[in-house]
Amino acid sequence: MSIADQALTDDLASRRDMIVCRGVKKWFGDFQALRGVDVTVKDREVMVVLGPSGSGKSTLIRCINRLEVHQEGDIIVDGIELTNDTRNIETIRSEVGMVFQQFNLFPHLTVLDNITLAPIWVRKKAKADAEQMAMQLLERVGIPEQASKFPGQLSGGQQQRVAIARSLAMEPKIMLFDEPTSALDPEMIAEVLDVMKDLARGGMTMMVVTHEMGFAREVADRLVFMESGDVVEVGTPEHFFTNPREERTKLFLSQIL
Amino acid sequence: MSESTMTAATPAPVEHGRSGVRWVRENLFSSVSNTLQTIVFSAILLGLMRWILGQIFSEEADWSSVATNLRLLMSYNYPIDQFIRVWVAATIVFLMVGLSLGAWKVDPGFSVRRFGSTTLSTGAFLLLVRVLSPEATPQRIALAMVVAGIALLVLGSLVMRAVPRERDRRLGFTAVLNSVVALILAVLWLVPFGDYGVVDGERYAVDGVTVASSTKVPWTLVLILMVAFQVVGRALGPSVGATVRRLIVLFWVVGPAFIIFLVLRDPAFDWDHVWSTDVPMAAAFALGGGGLLYLLSRPGRDELARVIGAVLLAFALFNWVAAFFGWYPMLQKARFSFLLIAFAVLLVPTFAGERAARLRFAGAWFGLMVLMHWLITGINTESTLVIAAPPFLGGLVLTVGIAYYVMLVSFPLGVLLSLARTSKMPIFRVMSTTYIEVIRGVPLITVLFFFSIMLPLFLPRGMGISDLAAVFAGYTVFSAAYMAENIRGGLQSIRQGQYEAADALGLSTVQRTTLIVLPQALRVSIPNLVGQAIATFKETSLIAIVGGFDLLRIANSTIPNQPDFLGQKRPGLLFISLVYFVIAFTMSKSSQRLEAKLQAGQAR
Amino acid sequence: MTDNQSTASVIQVGGRPPLWRNAAVLKWAIQFAALVAVLGVFWFLIVEARTNLAAKGIPVGYDWLDDPANFQLAEGIQTVDSPERRLTMSRALWVGMVNTLRMAGLGILFATIIGVIVGVSRLSKNYVARRFSSVYVETLRNVPVLVQIILWLAILGSLGKLTADSGPIPGWLIISQKGISLPRIFLADGFYQFASMMLLLSVGIRYVNRSLRRRQEREGGEHRVGSKTFALVVVAVVVSWFANPVMAFLGPVFSALSDGWGAIPQGVMQTLLSLIAVLSAALWIKRFLDSRRTPAGLAKLIDDDWFRMIFSGVAALLGVFVVVRGWPGLSSWMVNSGSDLWGVLADKFGGGRGSLPFDAMKPTLSEGRFVNYGDTGLTLSVFYAALFLGLVFYTSSFIAEIVRGGILAVPSGQSEAAAALGLTRSQALRKVVLPQAFRVIMPPLGNQYLNITKNTSLGIAVGFSEIVQVGQTVYNKNSQTLAVFSIYMIFYLACSLTISSVVNTVNRRLAIVER
Repeated sequence: MSIADQALTDDLASRRDMIVCRGVKKWFGDFQALRGVDVTVKDREVMVVLGPSGSGKSTLIRCINRLEVHQEGDIIVDGIELTNDTRNIETIRSEVGMVFQQFNLFPHLTVLDNITLAPIWVRKKAKADAEQMAMQLLERVGIPEQASKFPGQLSGGQQQRVAIARSLAMEPKIMLFDEPTSALDPEMIAEVLDVMKDLARGGMTMMVVTHEMGFAREVADRLVFMESGDVVEVGTPEHFFTNPREERTKLFLSQIL
Repeated sequence: MSESTMTAATPAPVEHGRSGVRWVRENLFSSVSNTLQTIVFSAILLGLMRWILGQIFSEEADWSSVATNLRLLMSYNYPIDQFIRVWVAATIVFLMVGLSLGAWKVDPGFSVRRFGSTTLSTGAFLLLVRVLSPEATPQRIALAMVVAGIALLVLGSLVMRAVPRERDRRLGFTAVLNSVVALILAVLWLVPFGDYGVVDGERYAVDGVTVASSTKVPWTLVLILMVAFQVVGRALGPSVGATVRRLIVLFWVVGPAFIIFLVLRDPAFDWDHVWSTDVPMAAAFALGGGGLLYLLSRPGRDELARVIGAVLLAFALFNWVAAFFGWYPMLQKARFSFLLIAFAVLLVPTFAGERAARLRFAGAWFGLMVLMHWLITGINTESTLVIAAPPFLGGLVLTVGIAYYVMLVSFPLGVLLSLARTSKMPIFRVMSTTYIEVIRGVPLITVLFFFSIMLPLFLPRGMGISDLAAVFAGYTVFSAAYMAENIRGGLQSIRQGQYEAADALGLSTVQRTTLIVLPQALRVSIPNLVGQAIATFKETSLIAIVGGFDLLRIANSTIPNQPDFLGQKRPGLLFISLVYFVIAFTMSKSSQRLEAKLQAGQAR
Repeated sequence: MTDNQSTASVIQVGGRPPLWRNAAVLKWAIQFAALVAVLGVFWFLIVEARTNLAAKGIPVGYDWLDDPANFQLAEGIQTVDSPERRLTMSRALWVGMVNTLRMAGLGILFATIIGVIVGVSRLSKNYVARRFSSVYVETLRNVPVLVQIILWLAILGSLGKLTADSGPIPGWLIISQKGISLPRIFLADGFYQFASMMLLLSVGIRYVNRSLRRRQEREGGEHRVGSKTFALVVVAVVVSWFANPVMAFLGPVFSALSDGWGAIPQGVMQTLLSLIAVLSAALWIKRFLDSRRTPAGLAKLIDDDWFRMIFSGVAALLGVFVVVRGWPGLSSWMVNSGSDLWGVLADKFGGGRGSLPFDAMKPTLSEGRFVNYGDTGLTLSVFYAALFLGLVFYTSSFIAEIVRGGILAVPSGQSEAAAALGLTRSQALRKVVLPQAFRVIMPPLGNQYLNITKNTSLGIAVGFSEIVQVGQTVYNKNSQTLAVFSIYMIFYLACSLTISSVVNTVNRRLAIVER
C-alpha cells in the first residue's frame, strides 16, 4: 500500500461512519442477491460500487433507503438502524437522496413542482421558500430556464439533472446514485457527471453505482467491487487500477477497460 | 368475410360533377363483391328505413300523447304553481355549464367543410325519408321535410362551393355554440309545433301555433344566460384561473344536491329548531374542528395528531354501534361529523405545513361542515311542496340526477377499491377482489332488488330508508365495482419507478398515492370512466323496474294509462329512445375527442 | 467534525421498535382491523336480518325448496304442476335457470354472427356497407337495452292476431301478437343413446386421426388427413343413428349409481370434505415453504410470510367449521343433487326409449295460441322474442366494435410481411392477421358474453320466466328473499366463471397458435 493510500485510509478512519452495512443478506425468492455484505461509508466520502450486472450492487444501495427490505444483517445510516420502525424509515429517507437510472421524474408535474414537492409536503416548507430554493438548485445544475416545462419536454441529461436537483432539495446528508448515466445518450453523460463531481467537491457523502471508470478514478475516495452478491475487494482508485489483489477484480477490469 | 374488406375506413368526401361519378364507381361498384354489397346493404337499409318510418307515422301512433306529456316526461308531477323552481334550477345548471365551458378552454374542432358535407347529406337524407314515408304521414310534416331537405341541400352545396378544400377553416367552439343556441331559439319561436298540455287535469291542444310562451320565454332566458356566462368564464379564466376553477368544481360536486334538496324540494325549515339546534351544532363542528385541525397541523405534532385521531375514530365508530343498539340518542349528522373529523385529524400529518397551508386546511374543513350541515338539515326537513303522486323527482330529471350522483359517489369508492386491489396487503386485496368480482358477476337488477327489498330487512328496527335512496345505494355499490376496475387499469399503467421515486423522497403512503399515483392513473382512466358514465346513464332505465318514475316508466306505463292515450306506448318509447340516444351519443362523441386529445398529449 | 472517533458505539443496534411504529405490525394490524370491521358489520347485519325475519315468522334456511310452487310459469321445460311431475319451488327455479341459459346461449350465438358481419362491414371498401354499419352501431349502442326490449315488446304487441292462416308463410313461419313460431329440429328420445355412442366412436376416430397425422409428419406428402377423418365421422354418425338402442344398457347402471350415492354415510362425506380443506391448506403451506427454500437451506421468513401461512391455516379451519356446523343443509344438497343427477341419467337411458335421436316438427296451434314445448315448432313467445331481439341487437353493436377494433389493431406491417413471404391474401388473412386479431378480440368478447347472460335478467321487465323473475315470484310467495338472493348469486357466479374459463382456454389455445 502506497503512502498516499495510507494517508487517505487514516483520514477516513478518523471520520464518522455514515453508512454501515454488516452481514447484509437479501433473497428474491430462491435467488440470493446479497450474501453477507460488509461495507462502511465515511462522512464526506465518495464510494463507487463496481461490478458486473446482477452482482447485487443496485440491490445494496436500494436496501440503504429501504426500497428493498434486507432479510439479515444490519444497515445503520447516520447512527440510525434500518428496522421496521416507521420513524427510523421516515428519518432515513428524508436524509438520504437517491438518483435513479430511469430518472423517475413525475411526468404530471412541472420541473419546479417536481423539485418543490417533497420540501413542501415532507419538510413542511412554505411554498415561496421551496420555490426559491428550487430555482437556486436549478441554477446549480445549470438549467434554470426549464423550470416551467414538463419532464417529457426535456432531454435525458436535463431530466437526470432535474432528478439530482429534486434529491438535493431535501438537503440530504447522503446521496445514492443508481447507475445515473446508463440510460443516457453518450453526449449527455458528461453534463450529468459534471454535476456529480461538483457535488463531490462540495463534500457530499455519496455512494455511486456506475460503469464510468473515468469518474471512479477521478472522484472516488474508495471503490468497492462486488460479484454475485459478495464484496470482493475494497480499496482506493490507485490500488484498484494499478494493483488489484483479487483475480476476479483483475478479470472484470480487463473486460471493462 | 371477403378480403377486400380489410382496409381501414376513412370516409370518402362527397365530390361533385365528374369526380362524383368516379367516386360512385370506386366506392360502390369497383368489383363483383363490392357491387353485391351495395345491392344487399341498400336493400336492407331501405327496407329498415321504411319499416321504422312506418312505426313512426303509423295511423295508430298518436304523437300528441308525447307532446301533451312533455312536462311529465321532463319533471314528472312537479306542481305547476311552483314551476318557477324548476326554471331557477335549470338556469343555475345552464349558467354553470356556460361558465365551465368558458373557464376551461374547449378546443375548436369543427371544420367548415365537414359542416357543409354534413348539411348536404342531412338534406339528402330528409328527402329520402320523405320518399320512404308511408301514406299516413301528415301532409304538414311531409311538406316540411321536402322544404327543409332542399334548404339544407342548397346551404350545404353553397358552403362546399364557397370553401374549397385548401381554404378549409376550423370554427371556434364559441361560434358553434352560439349558432346552435340561435338555431334552437329560432326553431322555438318560429316553427308551429302546436301548443299541447294539461291544465287542471283538462287536456288542451292548439294546432298551428308555436309552443306556449311559458316554455319558450324561460328557455330563451336560460340559453341566453348560458351564452353570457360563457363569455364571463372566458374573461375570468386567465386572471383568477385556479381559484375560479376550483369553485366551479365544488359547484359540480355539491351544487346539484343543493338544487334538488333546497331549490326543487323547498324544505319547510322550522326556524326555531334551526336557530336553537342546527346552527349551533354546525358552528361547533366547524369552529371546533377547524381550530383542532389548525393546532394539530403544526409540523412535529404528527404523533399527537395520530393519537387524537385514533381516539376520535374509536369514539365516532362507537357512536354508530351505540346507535344500532339504541344506547343513547344522537343526531345522525353529529355522527357523520364526528367520523369526518376523526378522518381529518388522521390526515393531519399529510397536510401539516406552514401557517398559510394550515389556515387553508382548517378553512376547507369549515366550509365542508357549513355545506354539509346545511344540506343535511335541508334533506331532513319536510318539503313544502304539494305533489299529486308522491315522488317529487321523476322523468328526465331523475334519470340524469341519479346517473350523475351515482358516478360522483361511486368515484371515491372505486378509487379506494382499486387501490386496495392493487395494494401489497393481501387481506385488503382479497376483500376488494371478492367485492368487485361478486358485484361484477351478478346482474344490476338483482343488486337493485337486493337493496330495495333486503336493505330494510337489515336495518335495525325504527330505522328506515326511502325507496329511492335504497335504489341509489344499489346503483352506487354496483357502479363502484366497475369504477374500481376502470381505475385499476390506470393504476397498472404507472411504472414502479414512480413509486420508488416518491418513497426515496420520503413521501408518506397517503402523499404518494394522492400526489403522485392517482393524478397519473386517473388521467389514463378518463376515457374508460366516460364510457362508464354512459353505461350508468343508460342503466338508470332499470329504475322503472324497481319502482321509480323515470323516463321509461312514464313512457311505458304512465302515459298509456291516461284515458286520452290508452295503450299509446310506441310514440313515447320512440321519443325517449331519441332522448337517450342524443345524450349518450353526445357523451360518446366527446369522449372520443377527449381520447384523441389525451393520446396526442401522451405522444408529446 | 467534533465526533472524530469511530462512532460504532453510539449506534443503537438491535432491539425491536415499539409495536405502534413497527411497519410490519402496523401493516397487518390495519388489515386485520379492517377485516374484523367488515366481518363485524356482516355479522351484525345477519343477526339483524335474522331477528327481523323471526319477528315476521319467516324461517331461515333452504327447507322451502321442496315445497310445492303453487304458481304457473309462463314458459319453460315445465310450466304447471301435475301429479306425475310435481312443480316444486326448486323445480321452478331450475326451469328459470334453463330459460336463462337458453336465452343466453341463443343470444350469444346470434349476437356474435350479426356483430361479426357488421364489424367487418364497417371496414368495407363499400360506402353503403360502411355507413350502414356505423349507423347501426351508433344507434343501437346509445339506446338503453331495456328501452329497446320494451320497444320490441310494444312493436310485437301491435302485430296481427294469431289465426290458423296468419304469418308470412302460413303453417311454417308465423309472426303474430302471440309470438314467433317456425319449424324446429329437436332432441328426441334416442338422443342420449346416440350421444353416448358418438362419444365412444369419437375416441376411436381421434386415435386414427392422430396416427394418420403422425404418419404425415414423418413421411411428408399429402395423406388427406382431414377428408379421411371426415369420412370416418360420417360413418360414425350413420352407425350411431341406427345402432344407438344398443346403449340402453347404461340405464340400469346409472340407476344403481343413483341408489349407491344416496347410501354413502354422511359421516364419511363430512370427514372427506374436512380432510380436503385441511389437506389443501397443508399443501399450500408446503408449496409456499418450498418456494422459500434456497440452496443454502430455508430462507429466513419475514413477518409477512408467517402471517400468510397463518391466514391460509385459519381459512382451512373455517372451511372445516362450515362443513361440521352447517352440515344439515350442505349434505342434503350434495346427496340429493348427486343422486338426482344419476337418476336423471338413468331415466334418459331407461327402457322404452325410441331410437331416433332427432325429430322435426312444424308449429301447431290450438285455441288461438301456440302449443308451448313438447312436439311442436320452435316458438318464441312475444316476451321471449322481445328480450331476444333487444339483447341480440344491442349486444351485436358492441361486438361489432370489438371485431373492428381487433382487426384494426393488427399492424399493417403484418400483412405486408406475409405478402413479402409469398403468402396469398387469404393465407395471410387466415394464418397471420386473424389469429392476432382474435387475441385482441377474445377478452372483450368474453365480457360481452357475460353481459348478455346477465342482461337476460331484464326479462323481468317483459315477463319472461328467467331465473330472476321466477325467483321474484318465489319470494313474493314465501318471503324467502335472503335464500333466493343467494341462489341468484351462486347461479350467476357459476355462469361468469364458466364463460370466463372457456374464453381463457380459447385464448390460451390461440396464443399458442400464434407462437
